[in-house]
Amino acid sequence: MREIRLDLLLLSLALLFAPAFSDLLLSKVDRRIDLTSHVVRITSTLKVENAGTDPVSEVLLAFPDTQAKNIAYLTASTIEGKGKTKSSSVSLPIQVVHPDGMPPSLTWHSVSLLKGLSKGESLTLDVLAVFTHTLRPFPEKITQAEIQRVAFQESAYYLSPYVVKVQSLTVKHSGQFESYTKLENSRASGSEIKYGPYENLPSFSFSPIVIHLVNNQPFAVAQELVREIEISHWGNVQVTEHYNLIHGGAHITGEFSRLDYQARPHVRGASAFRNLVAKLPPRAHSIYYRDEIGNISTSNLWGDSTKKLLEIEPRYPMFGGWRTSFTIGYGLPLQDFLFQSRGIRFLNITFGCPINEVVIENLIVKVVLPEGSRDISVSVPFAVKQWEETKISHLDMVGRPVVVLEKTNVVPEHNQHFQVNYKFNNLSLLREPLMLISGFFLLFVACVIYVHSDLTISKSSTAYLAKLQWDEVQATVQQVLNIINRCLTIHGKLEASLRDLSRTGDVQACKSARKSADSSLKELSKELRPVLILLQSSSQAVQILPKVEELVAKERELQEKLMLKHSTVVDCYEKKSGGREVENRVASIQQKITALRQEVDDLLEIIDEI
Amino acid sequence: MQVVLGTLLASLVPVVGFNAVMTSEHFASFLVFIFIHVVAFAYYIKGLLSQKMFKVAVTLVASVGMVLCCAVVAVLIAMVASSPTKGWSGRSLSLLDPTYASKYIPIIASVSEHQPPTWPSYFMDINVLAFLVPAGITACFLPLSDASSFVILYIVTSVYFSGVMVRLMLVLAPAACILSGIALSEAFDVFTGSIKFQLPGISRNSQIDVRDTSSAGVVTQDDGVKTDKNEESLKERPSKKNKKKERENAEKALIKPPLEKRLLVLPLEASVISLLLLVLLGAFYVVHCVWAAAEAYSAPSIVLTSHTNNGLHVFDDFREAYAWLSHNTEVDDKVASWWDYGYQTTAMANRTVIVDNNTWNNTHIATVGTAMSSPEKAAWEIFHSLDVKYVLVVFGGLVGYPSDDINKFLWMVRIGGGVFPHIKEPDYLRDGQYRIDSQATPTMLNCLMYKLCYYRFVETDGQGFDRVRKTEIGKKHFKLTHFEEVFTTHHWMVRLYKLKPPKNRIRGKTKKSKTKASSTTGSKGSGKRNPWQ
Repeated sequence: MREIRLDLLLLSLALLFAPAFSDLLLSKVDRRIDLTSHVVRITSTLKVENAGTDPVSEVLLAFPDTQAKNIAYLTASTIEGKGKTKSSSVSLPIQVVHPDGMPPSLTWHSVSLLKGLSKGESLTLDVLAVFTHTLRPFPEKITQAEIQRVAFQESAYYLSPYVVKVQSLTVKHSGQFESYTKLENSRASGSEIKYGPYENLPSFSFSPIVIHLVNNQPFAVAQELVREIEISHWGNVQVTEHYNLIHGGAHITGEFSRLDYQARPHVRGASAFRNLVAKLPPRAHSIYYRDEIGNISTSNLWGDSTKKLLEIEPRYPMFGGWRTSFTIGYGLPLQDFLFQSRGIRFLNITFGCPINEVVIENLIVKVVLPEGSRDISVSVPFAVKQWEETKISHLDMVGRPVVVLEKTNVVPEHNQHFQVNYKFNNLSLLREPLMLISGFFLLFVACVIYVHSDLTISKSSTAYLAKLQWDEVQATVQQVLNIINRCLTIHGKLEASLRDLSRTGDVQACKSARKSADSSLKELSKELRPVLILLQSSSQAVQILPKVEELVAKERELQEKLMLKHSTVVDCYEKKSGGREVENRVASIQQKITALRQEVDDLLEIIDEI
Repeated sequence: MQVVLGTLLASLVPVVGFNAVMTSEHFASFLVFIFIHVVAFAYYIKGLLSQKMFKVAVTLVASVGMVLCCAVVAVLIAMVASSPTKGWSGRSLSLLDPTYASKYIPIIASVSEHQPPTWPSYFMDINVLAFLVPAGITACFLPLSDASSFVILYIVTSVYFSGVMVRLMLVLAPAACILSGIALSEAFDVFTGSIKFQLPGISRNSQIDVRDTSSAGVVTQDDGVKTDKNEESLKERPSKKNKKKERENAEKALIKPPLEKRLLVLPLEASVISLLLLVLLGAFYVVHCVWAAAEAYSAPSIVLTSHTNNGLHVFDDFREAYAWLSHNTEVDDKVASWWDYGYQTTAMANRTVIVDNNTWNNTHIATVGTAMSSPEKAAWEIFHSLDVKYVLVVFGGLVGYPSDDINKFLWMVRIGGGVFPHIKEPDYLRDGQYRIDSQATPTMLNCLMYKLCYYRFVETDGQGFDRVRKTEIGKKHFKLTHFEEVFTTHHWMVRLYKLKPPKNRIRGKTKKSKTKASSTTGSKGSGKRNPWQ
């Protein structure tokens, strides 16, 4: 506190020796300082009068360096049209200048008037200056239970190179204050502290004042905010915002007790903030809120046709000095933000962050344009650093052009629209799907070619020939097996007919079954002959041939036995002999059949394995 | 080949390293590996040499080999015998003897995964498989082949291991799947076989179908539709002939069974219904598996939810605390907590921890356990010597979260006491009971864990009612002298304390230098005031 005052004293001493600047004079100055949030807004209404003879086209605004480095936003506007006509404010261009012969430690901004101010004319200027980091927490460290107090320093007189005839200053605050510098004509009432009016002060008048007040507003400061706006011409604008947030107020010291905080959150934890509200465009969709360890479940979303409000709550209450980081993302419909005129497309979207009353120390806006965009140009209503990058995403060949805009000290006033113009051919949209399709197509073609091509190096090598022969042998063996299996099936039918016979006693049916089985078995054996001959002729089949022959022989034997059994049983039925007798006669045959069948099964398995 | 490759790959894992060769658990597989190779080599040699030469070689190799083997085995036995556990790690020893871990290595016994499973957990994990497995075993015995006996051995061993530790349920799962697959396949075989045998419609046209043909013969002979009912009505017909034939038929079936399994025909309706039931069973099992995977195995135990009248209530306290740690502490601050939260803290809070879930350093874990079970001052000294800045405890008493540090505390005492004998478990138990109410022992009520968990807890409801232990806490009003609360999460589930800096030291030193000059009593006084000097 003492240091601050010393600074101001030095400054005011320096100012005492400065000369008057020009012929302009300010006939009336009204300043209103808004200290209700952690962003300081000073609105000055200046009535400028030309007392000299030459027309003047620019008005100089002076700020002490200590303030000037915290200026985030500065506009000057004038009201055009006299009383009766509709008054519309026109904002005037402002630029930083360095006039000669001025006292040090001042920063100058020059407002260019639309038309020169000739002798005796007057003009009303509205100047809005927004400052960040000018409310210093005092004391700098507080406990959980304390309220947050901040100190604010200014000059009671309007610092100007011109003579000021009448001026007054109004400081608006949240209602509670500790102290303020008392000068003549100063008074505090309600949530306002007033200085002035002061009359006929020379140029560079300076009278430091310090106001020590209570401010429990959330001091949400984003140390870095990266907004990535990715355009997809398939119909979506994806906005991703990475916040690095800190509570910029008085740091908490000592214990943090959850008990105290939960019991009386407004007393024990008055300086903390619990939630922030982001105002998103009305048609935002697929909104998410997460950090590096996953989704943060404490958020709320509601909205109507004009806006969508996303209430986000950090994982823990934010006390002074505590940090957090999180990411918000949402999708926007393309047609609301991207427009086209004469072959040029332009994106029109807001620059700042959607959360209200957040000061951003370093804002980086990246606009990712689709691959193949050309002739990119950006128009931003205020000065920003700007460069281009490329971003490689899925299925990109050369990368997407990225326009990067960087700005420090961003306040809600910067939440204006900016435009990115570029050219883009609609055919480029098809590039990625076509790439995928052709890729898969080529893959399948390659597969087809691979399957159909014979990659054998030498067609006459013995190994190759042997392999061919072996394939042939396997095919023939398979044929043999098929035939044998069919034989076995017919055997099954015969057995079934016998069972049927035992149930119904229908001898004729049984006989006819026998006949059909006989004929089909004969056919099968006919089929089998050429196949076997083929197998015998092949040199590769030496190994497998004996087994196959054995199989065929066994099968034939089995066949005979079955026939025998069949005829015996049928015989018995025809003679109407008793069940016991049938059984006796069949038993021995049955045993043989069982054994044979077992052998055939074994052989089948062995051949299969080979 | 696979043994060598597997061992090489395993030893590439840093934690495993040479353990893959050095520990006794792996001897069996290596022995089998060597044995197979020796046999293969012998056969190879046998092919190369003549009979006589081979005999000579065998005697030569056998004699030399025996000597060599004896030497190697002797060395191995000596090496193995030199280690107290015979080269076996505690975990595998507790597989062989389920009571081993709880007797000697509390750190293994303290892990809930190492507890023997309960019956409900079997049903929860393998559900219907629990009933299908016995059926599968019987199916394996029907024709006992090499493959099926292997499967039986597999299921028996895996059932044993899963009975020792819950985590080895994983070993049981594939075995149970295979066996219930066998059971289901057999059942489907029987049912579909009997359906096919009796369904007339299919077989009327197709003559080639292998299995159907047995019934096709029946149909082609007499075009009558033969379902079971018809058969039964036939049976009831009082005809001697038929009866005889039937008997004969039955006797035939008796002779045939191993060959003609297809003749084991079940009634059509019964088999259709049972098929449907089996399919339903399978479908419900899928439903159960999806549910179990979603609820029991995917739900992150780090985000807890409870269903209340107002809807879903989320307890996201762990991540709240970890996020706070990662954003609001210095990067090189160290956090002490019980090892359960070690990996989580490392991953989510990006802070160094003292002990974590890689529990290989028992002494370190015992040190933290000792600190947690010591009184505040001693604990502060331990933590300070470990360069710890923050202490994290998990406390479920406010919302009723049962797996908190107070419930785990006895294990901390046991593990700590295993290395530092001045921590004795009976000191924390009143008549063998673990309690934190007014009957608790003074050691319990003064230990760091109790204090950190219940610091200012009484002020929440005025009584200090712990919802997990369902009792009022024993010591309600106390202050912390060496720790300060820096963060507590929304539901009090995670509480973070910071070690107070040793700021008294400077004052003590100056006083000491003063008092040294003046008197000895003064230095005593300063010694009292300055407890960590």
